[in-house]
Amino acid sequence: MSRGKLAAATVLAAALFAPGGAGAAGDAAHGKALATERDCGQCHGPQGISVMPDIPSLAGHPEEFITLQLILFREGIRDTPPMPALTQGLTDQQVEDLAAFYASLPPGHAERGPRDAARYAAGAALAERLRCGTCHLPQFQGRAQMPRLTGQREDYLVHALTEYRDGTRRGTDTNMNAVMYGVSDTEIAALAHFMAQQE
Amino acid sequence: MRSPSLGRLAAIGLATSFVLPGLALAQQAPAPGWAQGRPDSMAGSSLAPHAPKLTATPADQLPTAALRVPQGFKVELWASGAPGARMMTESPNGTVFVGTRTLGRVYAISEEGGQRRVRTIASQLTDPNGVAVRDGALYVIAINRVLRFDGIEGKLDAPGTPVDMTAAFGLPSEAHHGWKFAAFGPDGRLYMNIGVPCNICDYNRATHALIVSFNPDGSGRRIEAQGIRNSVGFDWNPQTRELWATNNGRDWAGNDTPEDTLHRIRRSGEDFGFPYCAHGWRDPAITSGPATCAEFAQPVALLGPHTAALGMRFYTGTQFPEAYRNQIFIARRGSWNRERLSGYDVVVAELDANGAVIGVEPFLTGLRDEANNRFLGRPVDVLVRRDGSLLVSDEQNGAIYRISYGN
Repeated sequence: MSRGKLAAATVLAAALFAPGGAGAAGDAAHGKALATERDCGQCHGPQGISVMPDIPSLAGHPEEFITLQLILFREGIRDTPPMPALTQGLTDQQVEDLAAFYASLPPGHAERGPRDAARYAAGAALAERLRCGTCHLPQFQGRAQMPRLTGQREDYLVHALTEYRDGTRRGTDTNMNAVMYGVSDTEIAALAHFMAQQE
Repeated sequence: MRSPSLGRLAAIGLATSFVLPGLALAQQAPAPGWAQGRPDSMAGSSLAPHAPKLTATPADQLPTAALRVPQGFKVELWASGAPGARMMTESPNGTVFVGTRTLGRVYAISEEGGQRRVRTIASQLTDPNGVAVRDGALYVIAINRVLRFDGIEGKLDAPGTPVDMTAAFGLPSEAHHGWKFAAFGPDGRLYMNIGVPCNICDYNRATHALIVSFNPDGSGRRIEAQGIRNSVGFDWNPQTRELWATNNGRDWAGNDTPEDTLHRIRRSGEDFGFPYCAHGWRDPAITSGPATCAEFAQPVALLGPHTAALGMRFYTGTQFPEAYRNQIFIARRGSWNRERLSGYDVVVAELDANGAVIGVEPFLTGLRDEANNRFLGRPVDVLVRRDGSLLVSDEQNGAIYRISYGN
């Protein structure tokens, strides 16, 4: 199968060059077809840029991040309806294909309010204090299991950061719960505003 | 290369952390586990834990061909399609049970007609790393849950509802370093680790950084080793019945400090010194406690800085050459908190007739790509099978390799 050979070549290249260890394994074209078939775009936007409140944009996330979250949904470990139900029956390969598709899409903003100088400055200071850029990288584009933050919807960032703080969500480890420990609602709002205003 | 300047950087970092009182550390909002104890001088470091891989890796994409073993040994793929495969135990029937962490599954791998069949027998658990078999029952230990599947061999296809023994064991619920290695000792008790819920901190030394044992029903908790930061692998010397254990050293004290360690627990309750000391190195981040390390038991071997020395077993088989009998195989999952990767292999600790460690040598290599500072797999556990072959689990690839000798 030519597809298998191509995928194998991709994996070998990724294993050698991706940060850390094994990397991308998905096929973006297959992922695009699957996203259409499953109508993922109804909520997340046809190009992975969400126009729906509290629904995250997926365009341009690191491929590993999307793969890992879909697996956590499918396995019933990240219990955020309707995603656990919607991911039932996806094979590992299909998950990786979906991840490759959304990772390949250009990130961007569907809608964004004007910048609030005071909240932006407070968010910038908080991002510095919490050292967000260490893992999410200085431009907050994310890497490996750490998601892209720039381009994300501000309301979704508030939602996700609140869940991490309250311990109702964990990632593939508990680091975000520790990062967000004791951060106030006002601070979360500022941090989300700052991140959403990044280019 | 960059090592000399990094060495200076680490030294400055130590000096900085020296002035941080341990009490102040405890009162602040906790830093994320991976960043805790990091001196300001290393704030700009981009080191972060590697992402897990939770999807299956097809057999033809595994790094099997890259694996190297000593002359006369053979290494081959034994099983694949078990994402996140970590700790292993074998039942009397030869079924290998395998725990995971993030993926929340437990696998049963059986041999059918020369092929291996992988079944998922439990899921949706929180880091079910610990697996142990006794009297036909499989014990699964998740972070703070203990489940017992009675008569598991007869119901691999439909394991049913396990006996929930969580309340009887009363384990702490912290997620950080809360995953367990578990095994039954020669005394019939169930042993497991309780890791420290931080990188480096003041904590209750009676409840964490321990190896503990229980009666199989969860009663009679006893501290077997104290001041042992996080041991995710131990075994008993087949000649002396003494408990031996690996231990993970803390992060952010420099590329080469401290080292992971191998411990020989000569008496129940022995104290190995964490958080004050690691192999005789007085940790400056903790200002309480004794000024020196003289009162603590010392490890019997150093296993390298940040290598994540995890699963270990004495070699009790007869298939390998006589020189390997009663030596210790140790899986080193590999580093993240070090600029040059370390570990990602299986080593063998060589013991003399008195049980003293006289060397630690590479045994399974090829998963660390030195030229590119990349890794191809992460060995977590080793298991000596009844036929004398050695299984090695590769968590990153969801695969298990088999090492044999001779024909």
